[in-house]
Amino acid sequence: MRKMKGSQKQNKNKETIHYSLSANIEEMKQSFSYGLNKDFAMRTLKAKYNEKKACLFYYSSIVNGDTITTHIIKPLLEQTGEKLSNIVTIENVEEVTDFETAIQNINSGKVILFIEQDSTAYSMDAADFQHRTVTKSENERFIKGPQDAFTESLNTNISLIRKQLHNHQLVNESIQVGKRSKNEVNIIYVKDLVNNDILSNIKKRLDDIDVDSIRNIELLEQYLEERPYSLIPTILYTEKPDKATAFLEDGYVILLMNTSSACLIMPVTFWSFFHSPEDRYLRFLYGNFSRAIRLLCFYLTSMISATFVAIANFHSEMIPPDLLLAITASRERIPFPLIFEILIMEIAFELIREAGIRIPNPLGPTIGIVGALILGQAAVEANIISPIIVIIAALSGLSSFAIADLSMNFAVRILRFIFILAAASYGMLALTGAFLIIFMYAASIKSFGVPFFSPMSPEFVSTKDTIFRKILKKEIYRPGYLDLKDNRKRSE
Amino acid sequence: MKKTFLLLCFLFIMAGCQDRIELEQQSYVIAIGIDSTDDKGTYEFTYQMANPEVGSAAGQGGSEEPATETVTVQGSDILSATFTANSFVSKKLTLDHTKVIVVSEETARSDDFIRVIQSASRTPQVRRQVQMIVSKEKASDFINNNKPLLETRPHKYYQTMLTRAIETGIVPEATLHRFFQITEGDADLFLGIYATTEKSDQKSASEGAEDKYIAGEIPQIGGSPTQFMGSAVFKEGKMIDIITGEETRLAHALDPTLRMEGYLATVPDPMMPDYRVSYEYSQAEMPKIDIHYHKDKPTTINVEIEFQIEVIAIPSLVEYTQNVAYRKKLEKEVVTRLEQNTKALIEKSQKEYRSDPFYWSLYVRKYFKDIPSYEKADWHKKIYPNAEINVTYTLDKLEFGKMINDSKLDEVRD
Repeated sequence: MRKMKGSQKQNKNKETIHYSLSANIEEMKQSFSYGLNKDFAMRTLKAKYNEKKACLFYYSSIVNGDTITTHIIKPLLEQTGEKLSNIVTIENVEEVTDFETAIQNINSGKVILFIEQDSTAYSMDAADFQHRTVTKSENERFIKGPQDAFTESLNTNISLIRKQLHNHQLVNESIQVGKRSKNEVNIIYVKDLVNNDILSNIKKRLDDIDVDSIRNIELLEQYLEERPYSLIPTILYTEKPDKATAFLEDGYVILLMNTSSACLIMPVTFWSFFHSPEDRYLRFLYGNFSRAIRLLCFYLTSMISATFVAIANFHSEMIPPDLLLAITASRERIPFPLIFEILIMEIAFELIREAGIRIPNPLGPTIGIVGALILGQAAVEANIISPIIVIIAALSGLSSFAIADLSMNFAVRILRFIFILAAASYGMLALTGAFLIIFMYAASIKSFGVPFFSPMSPEFVSTKDTIFRKILKKEIYRPGYLDLKDNRKRSE
Repeated sequence: MKKTFLLLCFLFIMAGCQDRIELEQQSYVIAIGIDSTDDKGTYEFTYQMANPEVGSAAGQGGSEEPATETVTVQGSDILSATFTANSFVSKKLTLDHTKVIVVSEETARSDDFIRVIQSASRTPQVRRQVQMIVSKEKASDFINNNKPLLETRPHKYYQTMLTRAIETGIVPEATLHRFFQITEGDADLFLGIYATTEKSDQKSASEGAEDKYIAGEIPQIGGSPTQFMGSAVFKEGKMIDIITGEETRLAHALDPTLRMEGYLATVPDPMMPDYRVSYEYSQAEMPKIDIHYHKDKPTTINVEIEFQIEVIAIPSLVEYTQNVAYRKKLEKEVVTRLEQNTKALIEKSQKEYRSDPFYWSLYVRKYFKDIPSYEKADWHKKIYPNAEINVTYTLDKLEFGKMINDSKLDEVRD
């Protein structure tokens, strides 16, 4: 039933362009609700080269007026010549024979020209969508490394990538998604590297999306992923062109859209979330030092609160006596069980974090003051929280910021609560059990066919860039788990 | 499906939390005292608990309270008595952090001592690293009289006190684990820490020469009344004798399983016997123990000890640094004294104790192919008391500190 409806709709839209100009004008006016739709513009004129009436259609809000005047209207009125393509001075002219394409073209910022007694329309690109300029990256910060970030313009973004990767094999393919609003998704890859299976898998998933519209890459991510309910992300999202380019060079596939200031990278492994491009920009030792710190942060943020709950509630013999007595002394006047204390603090921290993101800029500094007061001094003085809990919560909160990737960050923060509850129910036993189950689950995850912990487990030929990286000169192979066309970065 | 899942969740959470106990609901016992009573099978247990609020910045208003609470109750074993104690102690007594078990000498010398200490090995609460102290007086008196002046928090006191005393070798490392290991091994003697808070006949320093004391004999002015010195000798789980600090140090030197950092000692000056030369003794290498077991004739045990000496004081101002002959004499004096003392200790152990406090049975075990044959050979009765033992001390290095010459007396006083 649904299929029939779809095919009917298609038949209607596939209508070919009429021979008569007035019929075409009528059709277009109807399609775009001319008169009601304020920014839909129509311009009729008499072309000099063939002495025929012609008509231009476009959205005045998404095209560049100057371009139309100087490169289309002026030549049409003044120039003489044989063919249209020799007259207009615009970059590209495409012939269109059906209304569906014509309408689509207008929607994506092109100008359509109909000519009297001609059943072909001409589509000319004069698109000028408004967007931000390239600015400094706000969410992924480096000290050493390029500072630019993607912006909400496809051309700019591709330009940022091509600037870094001068390679004719770098292909920018586009696929349309969405039924009502047809948005373009651009698939970028290096043609002589990429694994065709992965590429066709991605294309297939894009084709399979059956939805009215996908406005941006953030929504697209959720349509593409295999397990929407999973805790662990399987697509990497980044706003840094240099990060994207690094992945392209390794044979990964990147998706861009005109409406997002970021790209999607796939397939991913755990390491893609763990690494930061800066690790490679920094010298060998410095980069690995920062990796070690980050690994510690991973542990601290997910485990420290839970470990504390487990040890304090079930295994107090593990705490050195000095610390034990100090904790006990500070807990003497606390009315809540330890698990409540921890949960209060962790939730308070999440509150401040969420509020901090949503708060309007001028109020920003207040949240810091209020937050610090609530979390620290006041809560301790009121005997609601013991000081050690403040340390623990602050440590786990602070460490969470070292996980730069937003998806992974959320995953780890949710994990933290799971671990705390596990630790509160059975102590270390449950904590170990919960960790094991989560770890096993993570190991079972596949992103576009690539196991989550490869190339560590299962083992693959690769740069061996997992927890720590080697010096750049020793990196010989590209990731083996991608099964690329060219597996070597350099010959010995 | 959803319901089952929820039920399962609740089941886990509810079944789990029962073991949970908050830190402030427990009282941490630092020292346990064991005394015998007139009734056989009933003992007096003394528990010294730390007050967490003393010495902690977080505890507000706790500074008025004493640092410890000490209670004594009667019971048949360490653990069940804690529940009796709960009739007047407000929190659950936890033995996880116990540092020492104090046993009165009277109890330790009784045949039943092994019965009461057994319960400490059975419960997982008492750690095997707990040190065993034998007190001259009743254990409850020892714990009550022990009033450290600076380390008011009891765990800190026992921790620092024992660590340092063991480092200097005047008391042995006497963990419960070692006690059970040696007792079960049915060979060797276990050395327990000997301590007291009571003063006995005091020896003067010339008589004792720094370490020839047992606890209580050391002349002391000021400080805490508790003295740790010497060891209680246990044979087959029962205390039989006390040895002095000097003998304990020798046992340390001869026993590769005990660690000692080195100690300061003196010998009479070989040139001017009125004065004494002070030196720092240290042993960089483990003693080499070589046992030759013979089934029908006495076993020979050869022990070689390499040691270093740094001379730190020569009050006689004799020029040992410059004069080779003098130096040889000093070296000889030190070695002879060590060998003499060692010989005396070994003789005492062979004749009196009929076993060794050096854990040497470890080195004879390789001659037996299974435990029954080893037990039949009988270390206590046959092997050790009849063994021929040679201990040689070798002076590996003699240093004279940072100054070569002392002041020349005749030049100073002209």
